[in-house]
Amino acid sequence: MLQLWRILVAGTRNFLRNAWLSTAATAIMTVTLCIVIVSFISNSALTSTIKNVTDKIDISIYLSDSVTPEQRQTFQSALVANSNVASVHYTSKDQAVAEYSAKHSTDLKLLQALQVAGNALPASFQVRAKDPKKLDQIIAVTNQPQFKPLLDPTAPPSYAGQNKTTIDRIVRISNFFKTTGLIASAIFVFISTLIIFNTIRMAIFTRKEEIEIMKLVGATKWFIRGPFVFEAMLYGAIAAVIATGLSYALILGVGPNVKGYIDVQPVITFFQHYPALVITGELIIGLFIGAFSSVLAMSRYLKL
Amino acid sequence: MILFDRVTKVYPNQQIALSGLNLHIQPKEFVTIVGSSGAGKSTLIKLLTREEVHTSGKLIVGGLDYDTITPRDVPLVRRRIGVVFQDFKLLQNRRVGENVAFALEVSGARGREIKRAVPKMLTLVGLASKEQAYPHELSGGERQRVAIARALIRQPKILIADEPTGNLDPKNAWEIIELLLKINRFGTTVLLTTHNKEIVNALKRRVITINRGRIIKDEEQGRYTLEGGK
Repeated sequence: MLQLWRILVAGTRNFLRNAWLSTAATAIMTVTLCIVIVSFISNSALTSTIKNVTDKIDISIYLSDSVTPEQRQTFQSALVANSNVASVHYTSKDQAVAEYSAKHSTDLKLLQALQVAGNALPASFQVRAKDPKKLDQIIAVTNQPQFKPLLDPTAPPSYAGQNKTTIDRIVRISNFFKTTGLIASAIFVFISTLIIFNTIRMAIFTRKEEIEIMKLVGATKWFIRGPFVFEAMLYGAIAAVIATGLSYALILGVGPNVKGYIDVQPVITFFQHYPALVITGELIIGLFIGAFSSVLAMSRYLKL
Repeated sequence: MILFDRVTKVYPNQQIALSGLNLHIQPKEFVTIVGSSGAGKSTLIKLLTREEVHTSGKLIVGGLDYDTITPRDVPLVRRRIGVVFQDFKLLQNRRVGENVAFALEVSGARGREIKRAVPKMLTLVGLASKEQAYPHELSGGERQRVAIARALIRQPKILIADEPTGNLDPKNAWEIIELLLKINRFGTTVLLTTHNKEIVNALKRRVITINRGRIIKDEEQGRYTLEGGK
């Protein structure tokens, strides 16, 4: 206990007395931790944006006017039973015309034409998929022999032809951005860790004579290593607090400007609802990288 | 106190630093080891501080057989011996008092004990007023006194002084030698290596001359002889 206390005191003293080195190391750690947070924020903002886009993808299945309520019910149950179906919403002919009228309420000619022609709009199901990549599974249900006659012959499901190509394209692009974002984040985190490791390695290299002296005076490996590890953990802890503050300020500042393109609201909400979790997470990352880097960097100087 | 029995040290590059060296140093002796550069003095000291491990032979220090030492024991071995170096080897970012206290801290001494012992030791080496100074604020002689204080604070039975006057002017060099003699009078075995002819000749103590890893001369009241004793 006494030795642990001495290690902590020595680590803090070294941190304060090597002010320039501590400032430089903490600054570099802050920048790299900022990169880690910004990567995380960008990735989650991108994921959230992509989710918003893909959530809007649904399939409209138009029903023939001759479908009885029982047939419709059976068809709907078959759709709901499909493992890729998130929800099924039924729109009757009357609802369809009401929605159409509401949507074009200012276009009097169109409304008049609708009255003259009668209700030509079919009833439909709006099916939302769990995985937009697997819309074919839902189409396969509509192609079953017992359901095929229930479809409106003049209006095929919306996931067909030109629509199918567009939807597939959106899904492909979304996936590309998701994967790229994830890989970019991983690369940034890896490079950041390398930078921090190298900074601490250099900081320890400049003090290798100090380590040598401690060894000759009869200090154990942990008595020598302890203050250096604690000092590096202090860099990490301080950097984590600064980096979290800077990142929060950044998303609050930049968020409104990119609102139309990227959805940063979930990240802001997360920061506001779980500030303790964010700061604890950052602290753990900072402390771990500091401790791990210094233990690794010191090992070569500690051979007795 | 110190026994080298046919000790040989061969470095990985096949350089023979010590060759079948026999040496016996009694408790409370003051022994000076001389020899030209590369004669084996530094290797001899490094074997004692376990910076190097002997290749063959037997080395016993203070009753401890060095063949039985494991890597875990090395810090404990070093705490039993006080060592003073030519380049002082002080912790530059610690104050004088903290440098001296460090030797006790690594041994697990209590804070109260450290607070009592450090000023006493600094008074002994004549640095009572410099406890709060940093090493870079001291003269060479003062730095060496700090190193001696650090070496002695654990009250070791053996003090090794490896060229302690090498970086000092004659006045400071003599002051350090007088301090070593004083420590020896208190009962500590002192092992001194030096190139300083005047000091060796004036000491009139046991002088061991080493050349090419062997002892070529061992005199009770020896003198410094150049070129390995010609």
